[in-house]
Amino acid sequence: MNEEITVFSNVKIIDILYNTTLFEFIKTMHESELLMYLSFGITLLAMIAIAYVPMKMKARLATFMVIANAMITSWIAMPALFGDALEYVMYAGAFMGNITIRIDALAAWFMVIINFTAVTGVMYGAGYLKGHQSKPAKLSLHWILFLLFQLSMLGVCVVQHGLAFLIVWEIMSLSSMLLVIFDHHKPNTIKAGLNYFVQMHISVLLLTVGFIWVYFQTGSFSFDAFHTFFGANSNIWLFLIFFVGFGFKAGFIPFHTWLPHAHPAAPSHISGVMSGVIVKLGIYGIIRIITFLSSDLLLLGEIVVSVSVLTGLYGILNAAIHHDFKKMLAYCTIENIGIIGIGIGVGMMGLGNGSPLLYYLGFGGALLHVLNHSLFKSLLFYAAGSVYKQTHTRNMEKLGGLIKQMPKTALILLIGAVAIGGIPPFNGFVSEFIIYSGLLEGMKSSNLSQTSLLILTFAGLSIIGGISILTFTKAFGTIFLGNPREKMNPTPHEVSRLMLLPQYIIIAAMLSVAFFPQIYLTIISHIVKGLATSRLGFEPVGFYSFATMISNISIYSAIFIGLIALFWGVRTVIVKRRSQSSQPTWSCGYEGVATPKMQYTGKSFSKPLSKILNFLLIEKKQFTQMKPSELFPSKREYNSSYLDFFEHFFIRKITRRLLYAANYFKFIQNGRIQSYVIYGIVFIIAIFVLTALNILQ
Amino acid sequence: MLSFALIFIAGIFFSGIISRTKSIFSGRKGPGIMQPIKDIIRLFRKGAVYSQTSSFVFQIAPTIYFSSVVMAMLIVPFGQSKGLISFNGDFIFFAYVLALGKFFSIISALDTGSSFGGMGASREALYSMFAEPAFFILIGSLALLTGHSSFQEIFSALHLGSYITYALAILATFVLLMIAMIENSRMPIDDPKTHLELTMIHEVMILENSGFDLGLILSAGCLKFAIYGALIVNLFIGIFPYEYTIPLFFITQFLIAITIGTIESFMARFRMGHNAQFIFALTSVSLLIFFGALLILGKFI
Repeated sequence: MNEEITVFSNVKIIDILYNTTLFEFIKTMHESELLMYLSFGITLLAMIAIAYVPMKMKARLATFMVIANAMITSWIAMPALFGDALEYVMYAGAFMGNITIRIDALAAWFMVIINFTAVTGVMYGAGYLKGHQSKPAKLSLHWILFLLFQLSMLGVCVVQHGLAFLIVWEIMSLSSMLLVIFDHHKPNTIKAGLNYFVQMHISVLLLTVGFIWVYFQTGSFSFDAFHTFFGANSNIWLFLIFFVGFGFKAGFIPFHTWLPHAHPAAPSHISGVMSGVIVKLGIYGIIRIITFLSSDLLLLGEIVVSVSVLTGLYGILNAAIHHDFKKMLAYCTIENIGIIGIGIGVGMMGLGNGSPLLYYLGFGGALLHVLNHSLFKSLLFYAAGSVYKQTHTRNMEKLGGLIKQMPKTALILLIGAVAIGGIPPFNGFVSEFIIYSGLLEGMKSSNLSQTSLLILTFAGLSIIGGISILTFTKAFGTIFLGNPREKMNPTPHEVSRLMLLPQYIIIAAMLSVAFFPQIYLTIISHIVKGLATSRLGFEPVGFYSFATMISNISIYSAIFIGLIALFWGVRTVIVKRRSQSSQPTWSCGYEGVATPKMQYTGKSFSKPLSKILNFLLIEKKQFTQMKPSELFPSKREYNSSYLDFFEHFFIRKITRRLLYAANYFKFIQNGRIQSYVIYGIVFIIAIFVLTALNILQ
Repeated sequence: MLSFALIFIAGIFFSGIISRTKSIFSGRKGPGIMQPIKDIIRLFRKGAVYSQTSSFVFQIAPTIYFSSVVMAMLIVPFGQSKGLISFNGDFIFFAYVLALGKFFSIISALDTGSSFGGMGASREALYSMFAEPAFFILIGSLALLTGHSSFQEIFSALHLGSYITYALAILATFVLLMIAMIENSRMPIDDPKTHLELTMIHEVMILENSGFDLGLILSAGCLKFAIYGALIVNLFIGIFPYEYTIPLFFITQFLIAITIGTIESFMARFRMGHNAQFIFALTSVSLLIFFGALLILGKFI
C-alpha cells in the first residue's frame, strides 16, 4: 500500500486525466477513499437539491443524507477502529501540496461519535423545526449548513495536514456559527453568534501560529512534521499554544465564555450536536498533539490536570446557579470538558512517568467520557429542547409540574440527569470510575507534587459529582415537579414521536455502555495503544484486567437494579393491601393557602451555594429601592441574574480597552467610497514601490 | 456476608441506643431500645396519604433510597472477610450508589410542591456535597498508605503500629463519625427533634412521606448509621481473629451510638449558615490524614 501512495502522490492529477482514462484514475484509489469521495460528492449534490425540493421534503432529504453519510463514513472508519489505520494522499494543487488523509483509531472513534450525534440531531431537528414551515429559505439554508457541518467535522478528524486542517476547521466553525443564528431576528442570538465567531477566530489564530511555527522549523505542513519538531525543540510552548487554541473550542476556562451564550441561542438540536461533538473536536485536537510530544510530559500533564479540575469546578458551580436551563446545560458541558481534561492530564502523567496502566486509565477514561458525554449531553439538550418547544421559555422559574403533561420527556431528562452525575447504573459512572482509578493509580507515584495534585483532583472530582447532583435535582425538580408556576397557553403536551425516537436511541446507546463496557474498553485500549506507537512497552496488559473488573461493576449495577426491582415489587404487593388516599400538600394546617408561588424556586434552591461562593458567582440585582416617602408602594420589578466571573472581570476589561484604542482609528472607516478607493491605490502603490526597492520579493 | 448480617443487627439497635442515651441524660424515662424498630414495623403496616401534587417520582424514591443503602451495605467489609461486592475502587461505587439514593430523595422532596420540601432538599444537597471531598480524601489517603484501593484490602492492610498511625486512626474516626452525622442529619448539622419545619433538613424532606414509604426511609436511616459505624470499626480490627472482632464490632457500634447520643444531649445545632464551613473544614482534617500518610510513607524529604 505504501508504494501505491508514493506512486500516486508523485503523479499530478492533471497528468493522469490527460494520459489515461478516468476509469484507470479511479482504479488507483483505495476502495474506501473512493467511497468517501462518492459520499462527499452526493452530499454536495444533495445540498443543492435541498434548496429546490418542496418544503416537506427538505428535512427528509437532509435526514436521509446525514444518515447515508454517517453510514458510509462509519463503514470506512470501522476497520480502523479495530485494526490498522487507513492512509492515502490527496494532491491539492501547487500551494497545498500533498494532503495526507489518515483514518487511525483515534480519528475513527471521533468519526463514529460525530456520526451518531449528527444522526440523532438531524432526526430530532426534523421534528423540532416543524413549526417553521413558513420560511423555506431559512430552512433550506439550515439543512444545507447541517450537511456541511457534518462533513467538515468528519474532515477535521481525518486531515493530517496543517493548512487543510485549518480550512476544514474554519468551515466547521463558520457553518456551526450560521447554524447557531437560526433565530437571527433576535438581537441576542446575533450577539451570541458574533461572540462565538470572534472567539473561534482567536482560536484559529493560535492554531495558525502553531502550524506556521512548525512549518518554519521543519518545512512541512504535514502532521508528521510535529514528530521532528517536538523531537528537536522545547515541547512546552508549542503545546501550550495548541492547548489554548483547541481549548477555545473545547471550553477550558478562561476560554469558555462563548459556550453559555451560543448554546442557549442555538436551536436545541444544534446545541445538542455542538455540545455533544463540536467541543469534543477541541479535545480531539489536544489528544492529537499529545501523541507527538516527546518530552516535558509530566509538567504538561500537571498543567492540564490543574486547568481541567478548575474548569470542572467552575463549570458545575455556574451550572448550579443559572435558571436558564440551556445555559445550565452549557456550563455543565464545561464541567464535563474538565473531567475529560483530567483524564487526558492523568494519561500524560502516565507517559511522563513511564507507567502504562496510568496512561491507559487516563486516556481510556477521557475517550470513554467523550463518548458518554456526547450521548447524555445531546439527550439532555434534546429533552430541554422539547420543553422549550412546548413552553417557549428557557427560564425554569416559570415552569413546574410538567411531569404530568410531558411524562416521557420527564423520564428522559431524569435518565440523562442521573447519567451525567456519574451515578450508577448509567454510563457516566463507568468513565468517571476509570478516571478515579487513574487518579488513585497516579497517586502512588514517588513524585510529591504529583501525589498532592492528584489527591486534590480526586477531591475536586468528588465535589464536581456532588454539585452536579445539586444542579440536576434542581433542574429536574423545578421544571418537572411540583405545581406549574405560571399558566401556559396553550397547555404543553408531549412532543411528537419523531422527536422522542432519537432520544430513545441515545438511551439505548447509553445503556449499552453501562452494561457492556468491555466492548467499548476493548476498542479504547486499541485506540490508546495506537497513540503510543513510538513508545515501547506500552502494552495494555494491566488495562485488560481492569476492563474485566469494569464489566464486573456493570454486573453489580445490574444487581443494584434487581435490588430496586425486588423492593419495588415487595412494596407494590404490600401497599396494595393498605388504604391509600390523596390529600393536598401540608401547609402548616391552613387550607388553600399553598399557592404555586410558595414553592421553592430554582433560585432559592441554589441560593445557599451561591451565597457561600459569592466571590466567584457574582449576582447582579436590578431593582428600584422603595423611598421612605412612598406611602403606597406601586408595582415594581426585581431582577437577579448571575455574571460569568471570567467574562465580567477579564474578557470584558480587555475588550473595553481594545475598543478604547480602536476608537482612535475610526476615521479610517468613514463610509465614503472615495476614501476607500484611495486606500486601495495607496496599497497598490506601496506594493509597487516596495517591490521596486527590493524590500518585498 | 458476615458484615451484611452484622450491620443489619447493629442497625436494629442503633437508633434505640441513641434515643435511650438522650433520655437518660435528660432525666426522662424515655422509650425502650427497640422503640424505633417497633415504630418502623408499625409504619410498614399503615396505609399512606400521598400529596395531590406528587407524581411517580414520589412513590419510587423511598424504594430507591432504601435499595441504595442496602447496596452500600453489601460493599462494606468486615475485617478479613470481604463484603459481598468487593473490587478495586469499590469505595467510589459505595459513595456513588449512596448518591443515587440521595438524588431520588431530593427530587421526591421537590415533588410535593411544598416550600418546606424544597428547603430541606436544597440543604441536603448542599451539605452532602460538601461532605464528599472529606470522604474521598480520607479513603484516598488510606489507599495511598496501604497501596490498595478496595475497602477490604485497605482495612486489612492498615496496621496500627506507630504513634502516627494511631493519630491517623483517631482523625479518621472523627471524620467518619462526622460524615455519619451529616449523612444521617444528626446533631451538629441538623436537629431531628426540632418542631419547626423551617429549621429542619432531613425531617422536612420526608414530611409528606407516610406509611410503608416512611418506614423504608427510617429503616434506611438506621442501616446507614450502622454502615458508617462498621467503617469506623474496620479501621481498628484489621487482622484480629473473629472471636475478638465480632464482640469488638458491637462494642464499638454501641460506643458510637452513645457518643452520638451524648453529642445530641449537650450540643445545640449549628446555625444553618455555619454548617457549610463546618462540613468543609472536615476536608482539612482529611488533608491532615493525607499528610500523615505521606509522612509514614517517607515522601516528605
